[in-house]
Order: sequence, then C-alpha cells, then structure tokens
Amino acid sequence: MEITVTGANALVSPHLHVWDWRVSLYLFLGGLSAGLAVMTSVLHVRKGGALATGERAASTAGLLVPLILSVGMLFIFLDLERKLNVFWFYLTVQPLSPMSWGSWGLLVFYPVSVFYALAAFPAERRQQLRLPVLIRISERLSAYRLQLAAANFGMGIFIGVYTGVLLSSFVARPLWNSAILPVLFLTSALSAGAAFMIMIADQKKVKLFFTKVDIWLILAEMVLLPLFFYGQYTSSGAHRNSILPFFTLNHEYFWYGLGLLFLVVIFPIAVVLKFLEVREDHGDELTGQELMRMNLSAVMVLLGGLVIRLSFVYAGQLSRLS
Amino acid sequence: MKFSRRTFLKASGAAGCSLAAYAALPEKFLLWAEEQGMLKASYVPTFCEICFWKCGAMAKVLNGRVVKLEGNPAHPGARGKLCARGNGGAGLLYDPNRLKTPLIRTGARGEQKYRKATWDEALDLIASKLKRIKAESGPESVALFTHGTPTDHFLPLLFAYGSPNVGMPSFAQCRGPRDVGLELTFGEGIGSPERVDLTRSKVLVLFGSHLGENMHNSQVQDFADALAAGSKLIVVDPRFSIAAGKAHSWLPIRPATDLALMLAWIHVIIKEQLYDKAYLDSYATGFAELAEAVSDCTPEWAAKETDLSAESIVETARLLGHNAPNVCIHPGRHATWYGDDVQRSRAIGILAALLGSWGREGGYFLATRSSLPKLEGKPFPEPVKAPLNLGNFPFAGAEGVTQEIRRATLTGEPYPIKGWIVTGTNLMKAMPNQKETVEAINKLDLLVVVDVMPTDTAMMADVILPECTYLERHDALAVGKGRSLSISLRQPALQPLYDSKPGWWIAKQIANRLDLGDYFPWQTLEEKIQAQCALWGVNYQELKKVGTITIPDSANPYITADAPAEFKTGSGKIELYSKELKEKGFDPVPRYTRHPGPRPGEFRLVYGRSPVHTFSRTANNPELHELYPENEVWINSGKAKELGVKNGEYVVLVNQDGVRSNRIKAKVTQRIRTDCVYVVHGFGAASKGLSRAFAKGADDQGMITRYAVDPICGSTGMHVNFVRVEKEGVHA
Amino acid sequence: MPKYAMVVDQRRCVACMACVVACKKENEVPPGQFRTRVVELVEGEFPRLRMELRSELCNHCDNPPCVYNCPTGASYKAADGMVLLKKHRCVGCKACVASCPYDARYINEEKGFADKCTFCSQRIAEGKQPACVATCIGKSRIFGDLDDPASAVSAALRDNHHEVLLASAGTKPRVFYIKKFGTPE
Repeated sequence: MEITVTGANALVSPHLHVWDWRVSLYLFLGGLSAGLAVMTSVLHVRKGGALATGERAASTAGLLVPLILSVGMLFIFLDLERKLNVFWFYLTVQPLSPMSWGSWGLLVFYPVSVFYALAAFPAERRQQLRLPVLIRISERLSAYRLQLAAANFGMGIFIGVYTGVLLSSFVARPLWNSAILPVLFLTSALSAGAAFMIMIADQKKVKLFFTKVDIWLILAEMVLLPLFFYGQYTSSGAHRNSILPFFTLNHEYFWYGLGLLFLVVIFPIAVVLKFLEVREDHGDELTGQELMRMNLSAVMVLLGGLVIRLSFVYAGQLSRLS
Repeated sequence: MKFSRRTFLKASGAAGCSLAAYAALPEKFLLWAEEQGMLKASYVPTFCEICFWKCGAMAKVLNGRVVKLEGNPAHPGARGKLCARGNGGAGLLYDPNRLKTPLIRTGARGEQKYRKATWDEALDLIASKLKRIKAESGPESVALFTHGTPTDHFLPLLFAYGSPNVGMPSFAQCRGPRDVGLELTFGEGIGSPERVDLTRSKVLVLFGSHLGENMHNSQVQDFADALAAGSKLIVVDPRFSIAAGKAHSWLPIRPATDLALMLAWIHVIIKEQLYDKAYLDSYATGFAELAEAVSDCTPEWAAKETDLSAESIVETARLLGHNAPNVCIHPGRHATWYGDDVQRSRAIGILAALLGSWGREGGYFLATRSSLPKLEGKPFPEPVKAPLNLGNFPFAGAEGVTQEIRRATLTGEPYPIKGWIVTGTNLMKAMPNQKETVEAINKLDLLVVVDVMPTDTAMMADVILPECTYLERHDALAVGKGRSLSISLRQPALQPLYDSKPGWWIAKQIANRLDLGDYFPWQTLEEKIQAQCALWGVNYQELKKVGTITIPDSANPYITADAPAEFKTGSGKIELYSKELKEKGFDPVPRYTRHPGPRPGEFRLVYGRSPVHTFSRTANNPELHELYPENEVWINSGKAKELGVKNGEYVVLVNQDGVRSNRIKAKVTQRIRTDCVYVVHGFGAASKGLSRAFAKGADDQGMITRYAVDPICGSTGMHVNFVRVEKEGVHA
Repeated sequence: MPKYAMVVDQRRCVACMACVVACKKENEVPPGQFRTRVVELVEGEFPRLRMELRSELCNHCDNPPCVYNCPTGASYKAADGMVLLKKHRCVGCKACVASCPYDARYINEEKGFADKCTFCSQRIAEGKQPACVATCIGKSRIFGDLDDPASAVSAALRDNHHEVLLASAGTKPRVFYIKKFGTPE
C-alpha cells in the first residue's frame, strides 16, 4: 500500500506525539506520592502505631507526599499550552473526563495529605515543625489521625488509579486502552511508595516491614505486566500491533525493547534481593553493606516505575486504531 | 503623465477606499469584531491569475487585507469554486519575497546583484536603451516574451514600438501543436477553456492529460460530473495518475508511442465499420486515403510498439465505436512531447471525426458565433523587416515561436535581436535548453523583466520592474468564448503594496517615454475598460458588482439537421487527408515514426503537474509551498530496488548530456512504468530571492537540454530527454 | 434543530487539495497546520493498481471521545451535532488530541488551543456551505441536514452504500463516505 497524505499535522503524523517526558514524570511522581501516602497511612496504623514509634519517616514521609506531588504537578503544568486558563479545571466538573475528576481529586488529596502529615506527626518531635501555627494544628488534628489515615489511604489509591485511567480512557490509543493499565500503574505506584519508604526509614523494623510489603507488590507487578501484554496480544489487531514496539528489536523501537528488557531483569532481581534481605539474620543495627543493598533494590523499583511510565507514555502514542 | 496617489485611489474603486478607514484599528480587535459580527467583510469580484483559466473570484477584504478568495458563482469557469491555487492566491499577494521596487543590475548577468532604483530612473534607463536599439538596429530588434494578462499591455507597446517579434511559450512550449493539428483538420482549434463536452460523454479518453492533478477548474468539475454519471474513462499514461485511478481502462503505454495506438484505433474503427458514416459523408473528405494509410496499422503491430496488449487496443477501440458520437478524446493542453505533435493532434481530430463527435453531444461542442467589436485605437506602424518569430514553419501561430527569437538573438540571423522584454513568463523554466537561453541573454543590450516575483529569469535581467499582483490592479476585460460569451472584470481589491505598479501603468509609462503615448490615450486603464463596456453595451457599474456578465446566446452548440456545420478548412470539410500538409511537404495522414528510447540504465524524463502549483510561478507561494514544497522523482519500485534507491531518499538526475540536477526526493512507486521517471514541473529555483523555492527539488527544464522541433509549427517536443538516477553524493 | 452531517463521495474526489487551502484561509489556520487533509492510497502491483482518494476531517461524532475527555468543558457537542470548542476555556492539555481516533485535532501553534474543523459554523450561521464544500471542485463533499429528507446529504445517503471511518471505535461519526458506485455498471 502506498499512502500519500497532503495536509497532515505534525502533531499527529506520522504518529501522535502530544505528550513527552514531562507527562511521564508527572505520572511517575503522582504515582510515587500516592503510593507514599498509602504507605504512610500503613506506617502509622500498623500494629496500633507501634511500627512508627521512634521512626524518622513517621514525621518526614507524610510531609514528602504533598511535596513530591507538587513537583509532579509542576511538570504537568509545564505541559499545558494555555497555562493561564488552568483555573477552568476548577470551574467545571466533567464526569467523563479522567483529567477533570483527577484534578478535583488532587484538590482533595492535597489538604488531606497535608493534614494527615500534621496529624500523624509524632508528638515528641512537634517542635521540628517550628511554626507555632503548624504545631497547634498538628496538636488539634492528632485527635482525627485515624480518620485522616483512612482518607489519606483512600486518596492515595484514588490518585494511583487515576494516573493510569488518564491514559486508559482513550479509545484512539490501543496500547493505553486497557483496564489493566490503571491497576498496573496503581501497583507500580504502591511499590514505588514502599521502596521510597524503605529508603527514608531509619529503623530496621520499618525497613524490613516495607521490604516484605514491596515483595508482594513487585510480585503483583510481575503478574500484571505479562497479563497486560497477553491481554493486548489476544485482543483486536490494533491492540496487538500496539505492543509491537516492545517486542520488535530494531533500530526504530530500540528504546522500547530495552525498557521492557530492563523491567524483565530488574523486577526478579529486586524480589530476590528483598527476599534475601528479609531472610537474612541481621544484627541490631544494619551494616553499611546491608543498607546499600536495601537502597539499591529500592532504587531499582523506583527506576522500574519510571521506565514503565516513560515507555507507556511514548509507546501509547505510536499505537493507533487504523 | 505623472502617476499620483490620488488618481490611483480613484481607480482602485470604492471597496479599497471605504476599508482604508479601518486601517488604523489594531488587527486583533478587528478579527474579534468580525467574529462578533460587528464588522462585515466586503467582497471584491475579480478574476484569478494564478493559472490561465481566468476563474472569476471574489476577494474577501477585511481591514484592507485580502483574507480569502472564493469562486464567483456567476463565472462559467469557476461556478462558485476555486482550486487550491486560486484559494491560495493571497499567498502571492503577501509573499514577503515579492519584488518591491524597481531594480537595476549591478553585477554580471546571473550574479543576482541589484540595486534599488526609482521608477523614473528605471523607466528612463529602459526608454533610452530602447531608443538606442531602435536607432541602431531598427525596432524589430526588440522582442517580447509574454504570457497571461500582461500581454494585453505589452503587446500593444511592442507593436507601437514597431516590432512584430513576440514569443509566447504558450504556443511553441505548450498548446501550439494541438491547436494547429485541429485547425488543419476542422478549420478551428478547441479553444481555451477547451470545448470538450465532458458531462455528456459516454466515453472519455485522456492521453497523458492528468485531469485532477492538472487542475483547470470548470473542466475538472465537468470531469468529476462525468465520472459520477458513469461515463467510461480510458486513460493512456505511462503513470498511474489520479485520473488513471478513476479509469475504466488504464493503458500504461510506452512513452512516445501514442500515435501508434491512435492509428491502431483508427484501423479497428474503420475495419469494423464503427465510424459514423452519415457524418463523414456530410462533413469529411479523404476517407479513402485515410483507410489506405492505416491499413497496416493493426492492433498487433501497435501492441509491439506501445507495449499494450492487442486485445486491450481492440477492446478500447470498440468501446469508442460503440459509444459514438458521445465520445470525447481530450486533445490535451501541454502537447509538446516528441516533435511530431501536430500529427498526433491530427490523429485525435481524425478519431473525433470518425466517431462523429466533433460538434456533437458528449464530444466537442461548438463555440458561440457571437463576437464583440474591437475598440479602435491608433493603427500600429507596419514593421519594416519581416517578422522572425515564425521561423520557417508554415503553420506557426501568431503567438510566435519563442526559440526562433532566441536563435536569432544568438546568431544574428536573419537580423539581430538586441532587446528582450519579458512579462508574465519565467523563460528559464519555460524554454528547453537553458544554456541557449543564457547565451542568448548574454548577447542582449537590454533585458527587462516585469514580474511579481524574483523569478530565475528576472535574476538575469538588466532592469527588473515590480508588477503588482492581480489582486492589486486592473487588467483588460477577459472575454470567455464557450457556449456563450462572458465578460469578466479584473479590479483591485486593495492598493498595490510596496512600490509595485500595475502592468498597464508600466507599459504606458514606457510608451510615454518613447513618445508612443498616443497608443495609450487613456489616463487609467479603468477609463479604457469603461469605454469598452460602453461599446459593448455592458453596464460597467453592474460589472464591477458582479464581476462577470454572460451574454445570453441562442446558438446551438451542436451540429443538427437545422444547423449544419461549417468548417473553415481549404475544402470546407473535415480534412481526414490534409491537402495543405501535403502541399507543404508533410504527411497528409499522420504516420507513426519510432522515436529513440532510453538506453540501458536510462529513463525517459516525463514531467507533469501538481494540482497545487502552476509551473514555477507558485513554488514560492507560502500557502501552496506547504502542500507540495518540492517535487519528487517517481521511479518504478522494481527499478529503484535495482538501483538501491529507497522511498524518500534524495537522488540526483543526470541527463544524456551529463547535466546533473539538484537533489530530488525519490518517490518509489508501483505507479509508473520501468522505462521512464516522472517529475512535477517548475521546481529547483535558482533565484536566491525565492526563499522558499530556492534549490528545492529538481528543475526538469534543466534536464531538458534536447528538444524535438515539430517541422510543421515549430513547437518543441520536450519529452525526449533521458536521465540516469544516481544516489546523492555519487559522482559519475 | 438541524442535524448537520457531511458526505464525502469518494468517486468524485480528484485529490485537488482545494478543500485543504480553502479551509485554511476561511479559518485562519496557522502555517503548517491543517483541519482537513487528503489521503491517497494505492494498492496492487504495476500495472494492476487500485486507488482510493479520501478527504478526512473531524467526524463530528455523536459519541465524541474528545468531548468526553475534555477536562474543562471547552470541547462540546452543540445541539445541531457539531463538535465545537470554547477557545477561552481550553487549557491545552491535549487530551482531546490524544483521544481522537481520526487525528482530527491539532494544537493551534499561534494560540495554543486544541483546534479542529467546525464545519465552518460561522459560514453555516450565514446560510453558506462550509468552505471546503463550497470550493470542492469535484462536488465530492456534500453538506446538509440529516433531518431534512430533501437535503443533499440525505439524498446521497439514501441512494448509496456508505461507510464511516473506524466504525468499530464506536464514535458514531457524522461524516459518511461513499466509496463504490451506487448503480452497477
């Protein structure tokens, strides 16, 4: 077939390229903050709060959630073509637009995460908040910490799902148009959250706890990822073609193949590393080498999450219905 | 006469003036105001000059800017529609590369070095040189090359000056042989717009003509109507054109063998008695001689020549015969292919006669017999020397044979040519063998180019005069002669931008300086137009409003029993056998001669058109450039594979004389034969002033170093060059 | 309320690009960008070739993914069926561009909003045809009211086999294509 098109727009020809690394980073950081929110709630609620006792992350993790989210939102803001119109997001509710309910969700997520961070802030460290106002709010909110933990957990799940639904709602882009995608992104977000928690926690018990959590989450990802590709492969021709970039080893699709290869390699390695960490007989204090191993596996998980966002954002734009 | 701003304002019409009032307001506000319905755009009727179909157009003017062009519903060539090029006309108007002031050459010819000059300076220089040539060599030593509406101003100037030597590429490089062939057969040409009755055709045949890609507004409208009505289309073309894609029968003929196919069709039609006997008995002469001459032109013979199957030749011949007389074999437009083009056109005429389709429904309709009286002016002086623009060609047309003027300029025989005035044509891209053109130009004392854009030819000139675009000027009334007469007005939609001037003003100014002002006795062209309207009984104010007035015609466009046909040939009949040709020593019935083909590794260079470009004149138009910025060379997929050429890759064409083209993208395609390559004409501009078109694509004319002159009319067959396709960077 | 639709009679299209240019001029589309395009498809091997010419534009879907995916309500489906844009609301998030299976949208390079074909609503308001239809040399593009049985679109759809692009996408386009001849040869 010889095809000649006169009057094609560069934005959609030869394939769509509306979104780039900025959106990928937004999806990754949004997911990370959502996952971290969930893990923070878990940290404080687990074992009646005993897990958080004396833990540095008990105070920092909660505050990092809105911070990471803000950095992520900065990237999506950078992607908007008409930034001055951004207020229109909040003058309307578009029930069918994931981006609309996502932006409303973010509007809820922000205060919830801030309030929760303050509410869960350990009483003995409140002085670190410096500002008397914050200290007072923290004191008041601590009464509602359980309710806020539930809200924070819920919003974390919501945002984690949202980062996937944002892409999966496009009938025009078969690679994205899969119900598994939001679940995959959520799992990846939670896994990244857990990995991040491992990195910022200073106590052995907390690190080991989230390592266990992360093992399950990585295993879930290792189920979901093949399931996603299997689902696409057994669906319509357009869906099948959409995953070709990941499985065609040529010059044009080099990065997609490499990305998938990276995931295929690092996830099992991360799981094995973490499994060994959990099984190992640690002393009271973790040695430098043990810490490094833990951080390494956590970084691998974070990188995996980033690679998923990057490769899916780009590859999805190569896919088309016709 | 001094040209004052005031007189021009008057001339430019009410539309321009009333809109000038808005000019002070910021544009954004005005656009917003228009969106809100607060500001109404005005529509100025005029006619298009992007090609030569002269479609009626309505210029939508907002805040003194032409924002859009639309077809004039009242114009028979437009019928409310414009093609891509007509729609993009304002791209010429607002092209920042336009010629803005008169320019005088400061470097060597071709160095493209110029300085700005005032109109007085430039015009005085031209006048003094023209006076000197007249005094030293006689007025016949100045020639005019022209095309389009500037002709209406500069041809009178040439004649008033005393020279008969005009050359229009539209004859010897385009339609000449077609018209001559039909005139020899029927006593008249097919006209422009061609009087082809496409909408009623049952079978329509295109030889090389690629309607659709070759865009002539109303004709393509008729073409689409014919297709929709189910008329059968036969396309004879080595390339799977857009038209071929619509065809009932595509005959991918070996280039240069069309005449063999036509003769075989004639053979079959006569042998199987598919011709219109009654029609021939009444109107034609020479049937016996014709039958004798084609007796050995069997389909089997033609099959070998044309690389088509004998069956397909017979089948298509029968299709023609069975649908006679509602058959239209389009005589084409650009007919200068192989040097025997008059005879090919004759063969088309003979087929039309055999099928009885000339003057019949679905064939070719007859032109209106109405005519308009001429506005008398001062009679032109008789030239002393015989014109040299007709060469030794017995059937050369009044438009002149361009390369004869060039030859005389080079050789000084029969007498020297010292000055060229070039208006509305880009000779470098229009005439074959650019080397000859450059050498001729280098012999000149004066080359004046009047144009809108800094074309390749303008960049050779001694003096360049910036003409304003068709949207900024008056021009002579356009009289269309189809089923009825139509009169169309060109009037400015806005005042000329920069220091550009209308063609009529330039011609008049030169005339004044040569003491020939009597030949241009009106102050503004509008005065002359008004006088003409008065003479013709046309309401000028009405014409200004509607743009086109059609004079109703009661004449029958078809031959009927009540209205028998008259043919202005020597015999008064359709000449299947041409005594005239016989007397001048040519074949009285077309005879096929085999033309040389490509040697191994070579391809015949065939060129054609893109629907978004007119020759080279639109290549720099921003609105059209973006649709087709550079031409591609179409090369057969199999051949490309042999050469290792990939689709979209840049290659270089090298012709039989070793001339290398600019780099050009390869379009690797199944849509073309293996023995030829195809390019769209008009690319590869050499003028650095054309910022978009400069060095984009390959110049087919640069590859056309050889040309086959038709001995009957002097036209130059240009499909006779062969090229090799080389990968970029490889040197032979 | 009329129900506007377009029919593209592909038999009549000659790929002359008049629609492409007329559209750009009417709607002040920035250089290098387009609201409509012409697709030329050729299949087969020399000399057995087949050609399809197809002009494409916004399908003004009855089930428009671009409208569903617009987070600010800038894209909307008007009562007469046209999918339009409230420019002042557009944030340029490009969700509509990504969601359109027909790649009918683009980001206006000069102004940043997600532009598209409007069926020339400004011309329709004046009782004119869309610019592409008005200038279509082959009369391949037909525009009108589906609810009016006498309209050219209704007649064309009644008399001819027609299809929509990517019917399986479920978008219910309002642009219909006539590919084959209505009457057998």
